[in-house]
Amino acid sequence: MKTKIKIGDRAYQIETTEIKEDLLKVRVNDKDYFFTKNEFGELVCLEDFQEPSLKENDILLENFKEKEIKSPLAGTISALYVKKGEKIKPGQKVATLISMKMENEIISEGYGRVREIKVKENQVVNTGDVLITLE
Amino acid sequence: MEIKHFSQLDSTSQKAKEIALEGAEPWTVIAADEQTGGYGRKGTSWFSPKGGLYFSIILPKSQIEDLQTLTILAAFIVGKVIKENFNLEPFIKLPNDVWIAGKKVAGILTENVIGKEVKLSIMGIGFNTNIEKFPKELVNMATSLKIELGGEVDNKKILEGILKGLKEQLKTISE
Repeated sequence: MKTKIKIGDRAYQIETTEIKEDLLKVRVNDKDYFFTKNEFGELVCLEDFQEPSLKENDILLENFKEKEIKSPLAGTISALYVKKGEKIKPGQKVATLISMKMENEIISEGYGRVREIKVKENQVVNTGDVLITLE
Repeated sequence: MEIKHFSQLDSTSQKAKEIALEGAEPWTVIAADEQTGGYGRKGTSWFSPKGGLYFSIILPKSQIEDLQTLTILAAFIVGKVIKENFNLEPFIKLPNDVWIAGKKVAGILTENVIGKEVKLSIMGIGFNTNIEKFPKELVNMATSLKIELGGEVDNKKILEGILKGLKEQLKTISE
């Protein structure tokens, strides 16, 4: 996001970029400042922080690496809605998990192609178990 | 808390999901006099003729563990409303049915949509209040307040009692 602010007579070009979760870059003219969240969720400035050697492509790649859909809680997989090799998109329903009588529709948060389905229908799963891997 | 009342719906939970996706506020309640496609777990049907109390609540975004706790507490809240208002002895069939005299009188189903966090939560409650009689395939499994008491009850008052209880409990557990 780009914007301009004016303090006194001087104008500053501000550009904010979310490098990853918990790391925000704010460029003021040509100087970069980095912010992260502390344990209270407050934004704090990181002094002397070197930008990780991530170019934009690497950042994208890193995001792609985190492509597993995990079980949010213990329960039984009652239905699977995707097949190996299928392309899926954000918001798409991939499975139903039944837990203490709650019915949970598990959706994908990203784009990808199903590499492997790690569970079968009626299988009991624990919190954090990988259900589906994507590529 | 807004209660949207309909004379007939396919399912109050389906309607609640629709309006939640359109941006309805948490604690919006969808109630119907009758449902043509009321359902329970795994899509089993829920007998929903006129007289019963059928409603679904859009829950505020919460931790999944809190929703699980709330679902179980909902059965206790329904039981408590029965006990406090009528001379009946409800039995909580865990995790979330309520029985009277060995037959089901109310059922609760919470449905969530989950990605990295909980996106949407709907709690549906079907309560056999003023149902006069059940079809023969259900007659040994289900009962109603009307059958047990021999008289009508006030659906509106019961609904308000349950909503009040749920709100208090969610506040307590999510703190």
